[in-house]
Amino acid sequence: MAILINKDSKVIVLGITGKSGALQTKAMLDAGTDIVAGVTPGKGGQEVYGVPVYNFVSEAAAEHEFDTAICFVPPFAAKDSCYEAIDAGVGLVVLTTEEMELNDSVEIIEYAHAHGATLVGPGCAGVLAPEECKVGAHPIRFFKKGHVGVVSKSGALSYEIGKTLSDAGIGQSTIVAIGGGPLWGFTQADAVKLFDADPETKVIVLLGEIGGSSEEDAAAWIKANCTKPVVSLIVGRNAPAGKSLGHAGAIVSGNVGTAKTKLEALKSAGVHVVYSPRELAAKVAELL
Amino acid sequence: MNLFEFEGKALLRKHGISLPESALICSEDAAAPMPLPFVLKAQVMTGGRGKAGGVRVCADDGEYRKNLGEILNMTIKGFTVHGLLAEEMMKPEHEYYLSITQQGVKRPTLIFSRMGGMDIESVAAEHPEEIVRIEIDPFTRLKDYQISCLAAKMDVERAEARSFLLKLQEAYFEEHAVLTEINPLGVIDGKLTALDCKFVIDDHAGAAASVRDAIEANRGKLHKYITPEKETTTVTYVPLKGDVAMISDGAGTGMLTLDLLTDLGAEVACFTELGGMTSEEVMYRAMQLTLDGHSEIKGLLIVLIGGFNRMDNMARGIIRYLSEHEVNIPIYTRMCGTMEEEGLRLMAEAGLKTYYDLTDAATQLVQLVKEM
Repeated sequence: MAILINKDSKVIVLGITGKSGALQTKAMLDAGTDIVAGVTPGKGGQEVYGVPVYNFVSEAAAEHEFDTAICFVPPFAAKDSCYEAIDAGVGLVVLTTEEMELNDSVEIIEYAHAHGATLVGPGCAGVLAPEECKVGAHPIRFFKKGHVGVVSKSGALSYEIGKTLSDAGIGQSTIVAIGGGPLWGFTQADAVKLFDADPETKVIVLLGEIGGSSEEDAAAWIKANCTKPVVSLIVGRNAPAGKSLGHAGAIVSGNVGTAKTKLEALKSAGVHVVYSPRELAAKVAELL
Repeated sequence: MNLFEFEGKALLRKHGISLPESALICSEDAAAPMPLPFVLKAQVMTGGRGKAGGVRVCADDGEYRKNLGEILNMTIKGFTVHGLLAEEMMKPEHEYYLSITQQGVKRPTLIFSRMGGMDIESVAAEHPEEIVRIEIDPFTRLKDYQISCLAAKMDVERAEARSFLLKLQEAYFEEHAVLTEINPLGVIDGKLTALDCKFVIDDHAGAAASVRDAIEANRGKLHKYITPEKETTTVTYVPLKGDVAMISDGAGTGMLTLDLLTDLGAEVACFTELGGMTSEEVMYRAMQLTLDGHSEIKGLLIVLIGGFNRMDNMARGIIRYLSEHEVNIPIYTRMCGTMEEEGLRLMAEAGLKTYYDLTDAATQLVQLVKEM
C-alpha cells in the first residue's frame, strides 16, 4: 500500500471546469485515478471527460461516495472550497492552489487539523502512487512502482528525482510534493512518519530546500523514531541570503533556514546526506 | 508590501490606535508643518535609522532647516530617504515592544516585551525570558485569559491594555497584514501610544488590493521615489555575480541547478525561475530578464521538466527570443515531460542543443564555458 492514497481512493475534483482543473483531471484519469465527481459552482450538470459536475460538494455526496479531494480553485475561493470538502467528511484534501493569502492558509490548515482531515498544500503538486493512483500534477512517465518513498516541497524537484530513480531502475511507493511554503498542512515530518509505518516503503527520500525549519523538525522526528534509512538532498546550498528563490518559503534570514543548519541536523539524525541526484540514486540503490 | 512608518501609522489610526500628532514632509523647502519643538524621523525602508542619524529633535526653525536638508539627502544602509515625519515630542514612562506576525511562524503570533525601543532579535538573543509569545487562534482570536496575561505585564489598567490589544488585532486581520509591529509602544499618562510602526500587507490578499494600490499611488509625492515596475508574470529573477546563466521551470529544480553548476566550478550569473505561469510569453520574458543587457554571460542552461507546463510552448518562447535577438553564447536545454516530442522537434529544427539528463547538460556547458 502507498501512503495517503491507493487504488481504492475515490476522488472529487474541486474546480474541475477550470483550465488547469480540466487538464489535470484528464491526466489523473489517464493515470487510472478513480474520479467520481467534480464540483464547480454554477456548472452543475456538465461533464468533464465523462466526470459528472455538481454545484456543491453536498450534491456530489448525495450521488457518490468519495474520501479524497483535490482543489484547483483560484486563490480567492480556495479556502471555502476546502471547507466544503472537509465538512462533507473528506479525509484527504490536496490543495494545489498557489499564492493564497497567508491568513487563509492558516485558517484552512487549522480547520483541517481540528476536523481530523489531512490537508496537503497549499501550493503543492500533490501525491502520486505510481501505477495505482494520482492525486496531483506529477507526470507519470517519470515514475515507476517500487519501494522508495519520496517527500519534497517542490513539485519539479520531485519529478526530477523520480526520473533519476526510475532511470536507475529504482521504483517508488509514493511521491508527495507538499508545496513551497511558508505554511504547510502536511509536513516532511508527517510524510516520513507515514513512510516509516508503510510496509511497501523500504527507503525514504527527503528532499528539502533552504528556508524555515521543517527539515530540522523532520530530522528531530527521524532521530527519535525512524526505523528506516533516510536519504536527503537539500537544494539551495549556494543561494544568496535574504532573497526568495521562487518559493516564498525558500528564504534565508539571519541564521534561520540555512542549508548548513539543515545538513547538520539531518546528519546528526543519522540521515544519509547527498549533494546531487546521481549521488542520491547511488545511495538509495545501496540501501535497498 | 512593506509600508513606510507614516503609512503604517495611518492604518493604525484608522483602527483607533492612539498615536502622536505628526505630519509628512516630502521636500527640502517645506515650512515647519507643526509647532516646534518636534522630532524629525526619516521615512526609509530599513531599521536602524536612529543610530544612523535619521531621527533628530528640532528645537527651533534653524535646527529644523538644517536637519531637514541633511536627513532628506541621507542614504541609510543603502536605502534612500523618501520623506520625513515631523512628530510631536513624547516622554513615555515605559517603552514596550508589541507585534503580531505571521512571518516565520505557523499561526499568527503576538510578541510582547517590556524591553521596547531595542531591536527584538537582540532581546530574544540576550534576554529570552523577557519575551512573551502568544499564538492567536485564527477562529477565536485573542482569548480573555491571554489578554489578562499580557495586561498583567503592562503598567496600565487592564481595560486600557485590552482595548489597545483588540484594536491592534483588528488592524492586523482587517488590513490583511503579515506583520504589525509597534516598537516602542509608549506608556504616557496611563495610556498606550504607538510611537513607531512597521506594517507589512500580504501581497496575495485580494481583498487588500485597493488599499495597496492607494498606498502606491500616494507615494508619487515622496522625495526621490521611483514607482517600481510591476512584473506582470510569475517569473522570479535574482541577479548573481557570475557568467553562467540559468532558467528553470520550478523553484526546487532551479535551486538544484544553482548547486550543480556551483559544484562544477561555475560562477552563476542569475537565478531565473518561471513560477506558476508557463506560457510561451512567460518563457520569452524569462529569456529577456536573463539575457537583455548582460554581455558578461558566457553560457545559458535552461532546465525544463514538464508537469503543468508544455514543452512545445517552452520551445516556442526560447526560439522566438533567439530569432529576435542576436545571441552568440551556447544555450543548452534540458527538456522532458509534457509535450516533449513536439518541443524537442522544434528545438532541433532551430538548431538548439537539447539534453535528457540534467547532470550531462550542466557538466558539458560548464566545461565549454571554462574552455572559452
